[in-house]
Amino acid sequence: MIDTSVQIGPLRLKNPITVASGTAGYGEELSRFYDIGALGAVFTKGLSLKPRPGNRGPRIMETPSGMLNSIGLENVGLERFLGEKLPFLLEHGATVIPNVAGHSIDENVELCAVLSHTPGIVAVELNVSCPNVKEGGMAFGTSMPVFTRLVEAVRKVTAVPLIVKLSPNVADIAEFARGARESGADAVSAINTLLGMKIDIKKKKPHFYNRVAGLSGPAIKPVAVRMVYEIFAKVDIPIIGIGGIADTGDVLEFLMAGASAVSVGTMNLVNPDAAMACVDGIAAYMRSEKIHSLREIIGVAHPTA
Amino acid sequence: MNTLIQKPEEVAEGHYRLRIETPATLVPRPGQFINIRVSTGTDPLIRRPFSVYNYEDGALEIIFRVIGKGTEIMRGYEAGRGIDYIGPLGRGFSLCEHSSVLLVGGGVGNAPLYYLARELKKKNNRITYIYGARSARYIYCKDQYRARADDFAAVTDDGTAGLKGFATTLADEYIRKNAYDRVYVCGPTVMMAAIAASASIAGAPVEVSMENYFGCGVGLCSGCTIETTEGLKRACVDGPVLNGNIIVWQSLTD
Ligand SMILES: Cc1cc2nc3c(=O)[nH]c(=O)nc-3n(C[C@H](O)[C@H](O)[C@H](O)COP(=O)(O)OP(=O)(O)OC[C@H]3O[C@@H](n4cnc5c(N)ncnc54)[C@H](O)[C@@H]3O)c2cc1C
Ligand SMILES: Cc1cc2nc3c(=O)[nH]c(=O)nc-3n(C[C@H](O)[C@H](O)[C@H](O)COP(=O)(O)O)c2cc1C
Ligand code: FES
Repeated sequence: MIDTSVQIGPLRLKNPITVASGTAGYGEELSRFYDIGALGAVFTKGLSLKPRPGNRGPRIMETPSGMLNSIGLENVGLERFLGEKLPFLLEHGATVIPNVAGHSIDENVELCAVLSHTPGIVAVELNVSCPNVKEGGMAFGTSMPVFTRLVEAVRKVTAVPLIVKLSPNVADIAEFARGARESGADAVSAINTLLGMKIDIKKKKPHFYNRVAGLSGPAIKPVAVRMVYEIFAKVDIPIIGIGGIADTGDVLEFLMAGASAVSVGTMNLVNPDAAMACVDGIAAYMRSEKIHSLREIIGVAHPTA
Repeated sequence: MNTLIQKPEEVAEGHYRLRIETPATLVPRPGQFINIRVSTGTDPLIRRPFSVYNYEDGALEIIFRVIGKGTEIMRGYEAGRGIDYIGPLGRGFSLCEHSSVLLVGGGVGNAPLYYLARELKKKNNRITYIYGARSARYIYCKDQYRARADDFAAVTDDGTAGLKGFATTLADEYIRKNAYDRVYVCGPTVMMAAIAASASIAGAPVEVSMENYFGCGVGLCSGCTIETTEGLKRACVDGPVLNGNIIVWQSLTD
């Protein structure tokens, strides 16, 4: 039996393949394609205290090898998450990591306090980087003082491992990884979507009501790999690599760049089996390359000291 | 992977019929769709949804209009190639029995209504069909539609086939005059909104098939969310067929 498990700070996952927040719903749909209990973890849709309707107008637009989204954090809210969605995930044996996306520091604190004391939740991921909501969202991820204030406040009340999901829309993402570490985060995930835009040339105005939207998919993979590589080189914190992952080769690229685990995002939408194919692919790779622990390849692309 | 039975056949200007071999275990219901991955690469990336136009003896058919990157590629498919699709997906139309029904299609939106008409006919319904199109040259398979309907009317914007005008006007007239047990519509958003309004005034139940932009087609992304008086609905899993009376039409873009 191959041991595909990985250690992310205090958190152990049975394998490094997870599904990214916002591209996996609450696990219900993916469970019709495969056993969601066989994933490293399921990151659920960005959660707020109260349900959110999300943005009006067009929400998705394909781009070359990627897509722009302006969903605006439509979600069921904390109460229905705990009452309906979490029980479903746990019954199906999933390792659950909620993505927390409050409007304010207070809302994030309250969410993390409740979630981290809920049995079955192994970690929380703090989303500081959603480009699609007017208040909060990205400001948390792009202004260092606001960012560290948020992470510190959340850390105090979070009784499980805290993962901070970084915004790529900054000059130096490693600085934010450092800020997260110094504020008590156990790991970072990188990256969230890149800010993008689409102009409707017939209407002569932005396609999305919110004007900007988040770019994801294979188109952003090289940017994401570079950012993971930079964080790994500069900051001693476990990284969950995200951005355009489609297959086992992509997973290996992120691991070698320094990620301890990865999330499959947009490609779930294209190919709902994508993450499970990576779970199998990683085990097959370890077998054929005679690797006993993924530690042997995490960060190997970096020069040895 | 399912095999394309024959080269896409042009059934009207810019409109093609695709016939795909399908396992007999996956018989679609009228109003369901399939989600096609057009290329094996990453561009185009996301799947393209198409309503089931017909299903017979292990062959599933769709009709598509060439409007962009994906459909342009599909037009060039060769017979025998594999088609990567997920489906049939979504909730289809409800099928009445021994009833009087009105079906109204606009443009390529007529596609799902053919399969619906076929199945409704089997259930002994009296079918009135309004086929709306911009112009005669965009009307496909007219005789097949006519054969399934008890009453059939074509309406074109330019009067080159059937009546000149809009399907909505004729539908409104019919709905006022006749007591339909159910009205089924698929077409542009404005058309569905207008007919849903006519039906609701007449107190007739109305089902519409939404064709808004889908990110995944399987309920993962919330990209297809529609506002309804019963809360938010994902068109791909709660629809594409929805009760026309609950949709908050002014929240939709066309
Ligand atoms: C449930 C459902 C059923 C459908 N059934 C059919 C069908 O039976 N036959 C058929 O021809 N089409 C159908 N469509 C629409 C079809 O999916 C799109 O026309 C197709 O995806 C366009 O692909 P493309 O790559 O050619 O165009 P793109 O290159 O992706 O787009 C070209 C242009 O069309 C616009 N566009 C693309 N998709 C949509 C959309 N869904 N709504 C509004 N604008 C759009 C784009 O914004 C762009 O301006 C259906 C859609 C849905 C959701
Ligand atoms: C439709 C959609 C919705 C998303 N929603 C969230 C979210 O709620 N919270 C979050 O932290 N990230 C969200 N993301 C970002 C993804 O989790 C991921 O970080 C990003 O898309 C890059 O990975 P990818 O290229 O594999 O998709 C969303 C992405 C997409 C495409
Ligand atoms: S298209 Fe993704 S949820 Fe409907």
